[in-house]
Amino acid sequence: YKLLKLLVQAVIAEEKPSAGTSQCSGEEQAANNWKGFCSLSSYTPYFNVDTEVVVDRIISSVYPMDDFSRKIDGSPDLYGPVWISATLVFMLAALGNYGTYLIQKRSEPNGDWEFDVSYVDWAACVVFGYAIAVPAAFYFLLQYFGLNANLVRLWCMWGYSLFVFVPASVSIFFFPLLFLVVPSEIFRWIIIILAGSASSWFVYLNLKVSTEGSDTMPLVVSALVLQFALALFIKIFFFS
Amino acid sequence: MSHGDTIPLHSSAQSDIDEIENLINAGSHPVTVLPARPPSPPRASIPVSFVPSAAPPSLPSYQKVPPSTAPPPPPLPNAPAAAGSRLGVGIAADGFGSPPDTLTEPVLDTVKRDLSRIVSNLKLVVFPNPFREDPGKALRDWDLWGPFFFIIFLGLVLSWSASVKKSEVFAVAFAVLAAGAVILTLNVLLLGGHIIFFQSLSLLGYCLFPLDIGALICMLKDNVVIKIVVVSITLAWSSWAAYPFMSAAVNPRRKALALYPVFLMYISVGFLIIAID
Repeated sequence: YKLLKLLVQAVIAEEKPSAGTSQCSGEEQAANNWKGFCSLSSYTPYFNVDTEVVVDRIISSVYPMDDFSRKIDGSPDLYGPVWISATLVFMLAALGNYGTYLIQKRSEPNGDWEFDVSYVDWAACVVFGYAIAVPAAFYFLLQYFGLNANLVRLWCMWGYSLFVFVPASVSIFFFPLLFLVVPSEIFRWIIIILAGSASSWFVYLNLKVSTEGSDTMPLVVSALVLQFALALFIKIFFFS
Repeated sequence: MSHGDTIPLHSSAQSDIDEIENLINAGSHPVTVLPARPPSPPRASIPVSFVPSAAPPSLPSYQKVPPSTAPPPPPLPNAPAAAGSRLGVGIAADGFGSPPDTLTEPVLDTVKRDLSRIVSNLKLVVFPNPFREDPGKALRDWDLWGPFFFIIFLGLVLSWSASVKKSEVFAVAFAVLAAGAVILTLNVLLLGGHIIFFQSLSLLGYCLFPLDIGALICMLKDNVVIKIVVVSITLAWSSWAAYPFMSAAVNPRRKALALYPVFLMYISVGFLIIAID
């Protein structure tokens, strides 16, 4: 039944029927259910997901297989990107501060540790900025190169690609505790490199599917590099 | 009733007052929804400024708490002015109802009324009683004063507890809570849930009350272990208070999607409380 629903949705997206009236700005009727930026119901199709759908997409984002593109073909969702980014912001701010706390306690046990609120600001700007700006930039670049790209699909895909950093951040701190190993620099670098590679490979595969092997290989490679650069930045800024 | 009997009137004035009361009561009954209480006996009281106050107000249907002031009948210092004000007041009572009354009541009454509403909403939301008669009642009687106080209080307590960057801590706490409440409500609406925007804001604000208590305790006691225990308990309490309302608002298959951001917000606030010292 779900497959049938996805098929119907894909068909509808192909045909682009005109439906709905624009209430907000009196502009021309859009080709789909877009009712203007102000109306909440124009964003509802992008949140039309159930719990198991979201969990399914999250799991398929961790293993960089190309199942993901087929899963979001008919209905890319924006719930995942928004809340995965929010979770990542919280994790980075919290665990980054916890890291400075541990370092402080080890170097001078009776010293004063202060909670650094700027970590929250930095984490929010970096994560949300990356999740919003990079797919938009790629959308414009792909349109410039004549390829048909869907902005919401790009946002969805990049958002889910950030998920792997959440367990990576957690494991940087709590995995050693399980094995009673002091968290060393090498260990942190290994985890970040693994997470960054998985994420970049995920982005690369899905972008390749979207661009269908035309002359945009530099673009796709640059996406991979950018994702890896994000991983390195996270490590250097939050976890050193 | 805050005015009470101030100046005894002449007997003819008293009968005039009765007549006016009857006229207004007869005219306003079809329109108004009065609370189930016996009508107060007409009492003479002359407000200091001789402003004509309304006769029994027509309460809006959502007002569950009866006003603490029983409305005084129109004053009769001199007949011509009283006649004019009588007419005006009569029309006002029938057509427009409560605004003249709540505008001219003493500030203390307004504050007391709002405080009693905050307390009653708090009891309904934060101490949910499974045997109460109407689980959705708190949602209908929403107000935004309570959430406002709780958010500001939490921001202030966190800011006092912080040793450096106090204003930034307050800004972060306030922004996270206020924007977070709005975003959480939008999230429920986008997931196809049925919730009214301001009711949800009000609800999420009231559910902050346990975290307020936790933050206060953590400010006074500086031990890390105690802080963790207190914050965990109050966090669980807040989440338990918010759970029934949020989960009832969406499709059961999307319940986790609607609840997870609520937990995320409360956990991040709890972490802020623990970490600030």
